[in-house]
Amino acid sequence: MIRIRTVQEHIRELIFCIIVLATACQPTSVEKNRGTASNIILVDATGLEVTLEEPARRIISLVPSATETLRALGAIHTVVGRTDFDLENWVLDIPSVGGGLEPNFEDIIALEPDLVVRFAGDQDPQTKSRLDELEIPQIAVRPDRLTDLYSSIILLGKATGTEPAADSIISNIKNDLADLQRWTSEKPKIHTVYILGGSPPWVAGPDTYIDEILVLAGGRNVFSDLGFLYGSVSPEQFRVRKIDVVLISDRSQFDPRLTPGARIEEIGNTLEFPGPNIAEAARHVAKILHGDLLR
Amino acid sequence: MSKTKLGALLVLALIGIGLLGVLFGSVPLLISEVWAALTGNGQEAHRDIVVNLRLPRILLAGFVGGGLGVAGATFQALLRNPLAEPYILGVSGGASFGAVLMLSMGLAATSSWTLPLAAFAGALLAIFLVFRVAISSGGAMDVRVLLLSGVVIAAFFSACIAFILSISPARTVQSAILWTMGSLAGADWDRVVIAGVYTMPATLMLISLARSLNLMAIGEETAYYLGANVEGVKRISLIVAALITAASVSVAGVIGFVGLVVPHTLRILVGSDHRGLLPLSFLGGATFLIGADFIARLVLSPIEIPIGVITAFIGVPFFLVLLRQSVATK
Repeated sequence: MIRIRTVQEHIRELIFCIIVLATACQPTSVEKNRGTASNIILVDATGLEVTLEEPARRIISLVPSATETLRALGAIHTVVGRTDFDLENWVLDIPSVGGGLEPNFEDIIALEPDLVVRFAGDQDPQTKSRLDELEIPQIAVRPDRLTDLYSSIILLGKATGTEPAADSIISNIKNDLADLQRWTSEKPKIHTVYILGGSPPWVAGPDTYIDEILVLAGGRNVFSDLGFLYGSVSPEQFRVRKIDVVLISDRSQFDPRLTPGARIEEIGNTLEFPGPNIAEAARHVAKILHGDLLR
Repeated sequence: MSKTKLGALLVLALIGIGLLGVLFGSVPLLISEVWAALTGNGQEAHRDIVVNLRLPRILLAGFVGGGLGVAGATFQALLRNPLAEPYILGVSGGASFGAVLMLSMGLAATSSWTLPLAAFAGALLAIFLVFRVAISSGGAMDVRVLLLSGVVIAAFFSACIAFILSISPARTVQSAILWTMGSLAGADWDRVVIAGVYTMPATLMLISLARSLNLMAIGEETAYYLGANVEGVKRISLIVAALITAASVSVAGVIGFVGLVVPHTLRILVGSDHRGLLPLSFLGGATFLIGADFIARLVLSPIEIPIGVITAFIGVPFFLVLLRQSVATK
């Protein structure tokens, strides 16, 4: 869970972006790909290369943010399996294969996927090796930072033959976030802590998408010096740090006595994973922090 | 080592580690600032940290650690099993079950006492079931049956917890896991008062039964012939020790190793006369847990490490060294 980004990962990401840019120049619409010899070559978040003969049409998404991305790409009809953590109304008709980590493989096989989208990372090495054994193509996405989100949108766009949509989603997010930043740059910085729950409370540290969003929304992450991505912080720290706002998905998970004088704001699952509606989430946070609406 | 000497040493260690705990924490404070906070002067934030966070936390760690030490020593004597520890009668399973049930029903937020009370009720349920099985197997209570039913009922409760978690949303799972790992971060004066009011009389009661426990540790039959009220002593001391454990679980979660390692260590050092062993186990357990919590708060500051990790990291190697030495000298 605790992970520091390495130089290799940045290089990998750079190479990946170059590949994406290079391939984006080629005409690769759905019709042209289908039935022709031009295979789709995907490089996923772990640097693994996957070749598809045609855009995926039966996808099992083990990552809720990827499911949302596929919907935003207009490719939700390709999703044949989801996880128990996808709870929006529009996914409930799609059968679930259990959790995002260690899913039910009988369900996965029965759904005859031509692509499985899974979490990058070491928490669940079994899923990767079993998919390999079953010869089901798989790609991994990493939901850590905004750049990871952009990479996974491009990756899923390529996999489903919807690159133009992917490009426009990304440029929309970037434009929206730039607008937001312009607006919040004139505002005073609000000292904010994002709490995931637990006792002592788990907070989001530096190098997380939550930290990025707090900054974009005109806040300052109180624990940007944490030294870890996430961690449970000593109650003493809450008493000596300047905290204006506490953001938490569920108010009952936090003892308000820890932060006398701070506003405690419940934000539901808005920030639980970074999806294509991240700009909306960031605006929502900005609204909470600064109290007034964007025009 | 003589008992009085060790006792004096432990009292000094307890005072010393308690002082360190007040002086040092995640937020660095000067000794003068801590003193000002204690005497009601100084900055409000500092007063808050010293008086409302550090002091209750140290006292809670002391009561919980001491209680677990005494309960562990008692269980080891009565069950005549070196593996016996405070949670052996399914108390931890029952307590976790109560708390997880509340979490999964979304009732945890109704009051800050919901979880501790549910945990306590779950622990009582486990104790009741275990004793019911042990007593119904015949007129007298058979400690082997008690031991087995404790293990089985603990396993049953963990199955219940696994089932509840498998049908609960992810957020519940996270809170439940954190809760069952044990933590002193939730310490406040209310919890200190409850733990103290509960643990101190119970500890004194067990100490008053120390002579009978000495006889019981030899064997129930011998104890009977030597004039001990075997059934009475057994029931009272088992129930009191189980209740101490239940109270500690409900204020601090399940903290492992204290109740196992501390009494055994002291037994190796001073022998198994419970008149000395029980008070020393209280002092030892209190010192050990305050010390472990001190490390858990400081090592990765501002992040805290789960207390169970520290009790295992310190307790296990220390205990293994002692165990080796005691075997070698025999």
